[in-house]
Amino acid sequence: MILNELLLPIFVVLITLILGAGVVDYLHHATSALGKQMSLRRSLNPLAPLYRLGLALSQQSVITEHPDRLNLRLAPALYFALAALGLAVVPWSADFIPADLVTGMVLWGAVEVLATVVIFLCGWSANAHLPLLGAYRYVSLGLSYMLVSMFVLIGVALPAESLQLSAVVESQREIWNVLRQPMGLPLFLIVGLGLTFWGPLDFASSPDLDRGISADQSGASRLVWQLARYAMLVAFSFMAATVFLGGWLGPWLPGPLWLVLKATLVLLILLWMGHNLPVMTPDKFISVAWVLLLPLSFVDLIWAGALALW
Amino acid sequence: MTLTMLLIVGAALIGTGLYGALSQQSFVMLMMGLELMLNGIMLYAVAFWALAGHGIPEGQLLTIIVMAVMAIEMAMGFALVVAVFRTSQADTTEALQDLKH
Amino acid sequence: MVGIWTDITFYLCAAIAVFSGWRVFRTDSMVRASFLLLISFLAVGVIMLLLAAVYLGTALFFMMAVEMMVMALFMVMFMMNPAGLNPMNMVHQPWVAALLGFAVFTGLSLVAVYGEFPANPAPADLDPVRSLGRELLGDSMLVFESAGIALLATMIGTVVLSSHRGRYGPANEGSEPPGLDPGGPPAKSAAQKQQQREEQKEQEEDKQDHDQ
Repeated sequence: MILNELLLPIFVVLITLILGAGVVDYLHHATSALGKQMSLRRSLNPLAPLYRLGLALSQQSVITEHPDRLNLRLAPALYFALAALGLAVVPWSADFIPADLVTGMVLWGAVEVLATVVIFLCGWSANAHLPLLGAYRYVSLGLSYMLVSMFVLIGVALPAESLQLSAVVESQREIWNVLRQPMGLPLFLIVGLGLTFWGPLDFASSPDLDRGISADQSGASRLVWQLARYAMLVAFSFMAATVFLGGWLGPWLPGPLWLVLKATLVLLILLWMGHNLPVMTPDKFISVAWVLLLPLSFVDLIWAGALALW
Repeated sequence: MTLTMLLIVGAALIGTGLYGALSQQSFVMLMMGLELMLNGIMLYAVAFWALAGHGIPEGQLLTIIVMAVMAIEMAMGFALVVAVFRTSQADTTEALQDLKH
Repeated sequence: MVGIWTDITFYLCAAIAVFSGWRVFRTDSMVRASFLLLISFLAVGVIMLLLAAVYLGTALFFMMAVEMMVMALFMVMFMMNPAGLNPMNMVHQPWVAALLGFAVFTGLSLVAVYGEFPANPAPADLDPVRSLGRELLGDSMLVFESAGIALLATMIGTVVLSSHRGRYGPANEGSEPPGLDPGGPPAKSAAQKQQQREEQKEQEEDKQDHDQ
């Protein structure tokens, strides 16, 4: 009983995040090599993530002057823990749900918000200029996309008449939410890029800040931070696949396999967006988020409400 | 986890919050004291709802209202801090001697 | 079996909530203070989850994370020692405050221990999220909507209060920093001091030129 109800879910969540992080690392480097026509053979090698892992582990760990040691060590691990918490509420099939919380949707919202806190903590605790600037940028970014995420998720909860994710999946048996609420998924994908500060929304560790938050990370803590960021992207893909692409629902194949396939599709779209969307300056993105994305999410919510009433 | 234990924990939070609100000089720290007191009050409301009130929905409603009060307190507090800082560049309660008269 | 784990989690969370709540006022760094307060809230949220208030517990995580993030930002904006690298102590009347805090704690604890409360737990088949939703949009809709209106009024008030434009011109017109001693002359900022020093230097140079 304990094995099935406690250990198996934990095992599944952790394995998914760690393997998924490896896949993200591989795909990210492979696709960026494709775009830049770098040496393809080296970056398409399936063992490349392991090489990078070994390289990171053998690096010397350098630390800044007078950091907040506890938080500096803890923040990457906490970010990973948040990814695990977010993935835990995702249902894999009708009867296998690691944590079937009645308010799974609200918990995912809390994960997004707490991620802001953890990322700020990571940049602040290094006690250096560039990481602190990156942390500030992340907070302003986070506050501007958070509301968009909430409205989109409320829109998804409306047809399900529940905040429970298994009910949200059930409500998509006839038609997926991506078709029912066409604006939901694009908005949610932008939120995902923000949550993992990926691609064009990577203001927190962007090159113009000399890699901001990551500027003074090295060795193992840098490795954990990257791992956690990839893991968060994986958890986000599973969440997006669950709330918009029907989760584990699908013909012929077993449920968990469908979920993994759909999550991989979302992951590929996210990586493609990361390489191909134009980069904006942070202040410009903040205006776009408040003036364009937030009203669009209102429209999405009104659309969902009208459909639910009709 | 009995009602008595829950109420004692809530009392400890309220007591600590009161200490903070009365002893801190900085406005923002003072607000933290208020928030901690509201934290204890929310724990009280939920404890009574779950263990003494037969789960009537008004108990949960009260907690939601306390959360709204918290948000209002925060927003108005920060607005006042900004306004005070603009007019007298002060961030501690001691600097507001004018309000005495 | 389950009961024991609930109890252990409760005592752990209670200890964390009270301890981190106390550390808020004992730490040097404002950022640490706001995140310690966040930990206190998170622990109370877990206790709410244990009490089957599922929505309230998770909503508390959510709300408090945003609030404390904003609080940390304001801290760093307004504090003289944001990172908390130098020890500092900014308290007044600490003993009176501690005494009053302890008195309130004792009083409330006495009420908790000797008060008679009905043992009337929530029914096991209660769906707390659904019942809260029905209450919010049913019988208590007026209360709920009033809270919404109050929040809207707060937003407007906040924008008015913190605007750059005051009622009679710029909000920071003629603003002076408070004195270092109560009632003393206004303290000068580093920039003002620098300017004064430069002016003095120029005057001395002028004087030297004149002498030559």
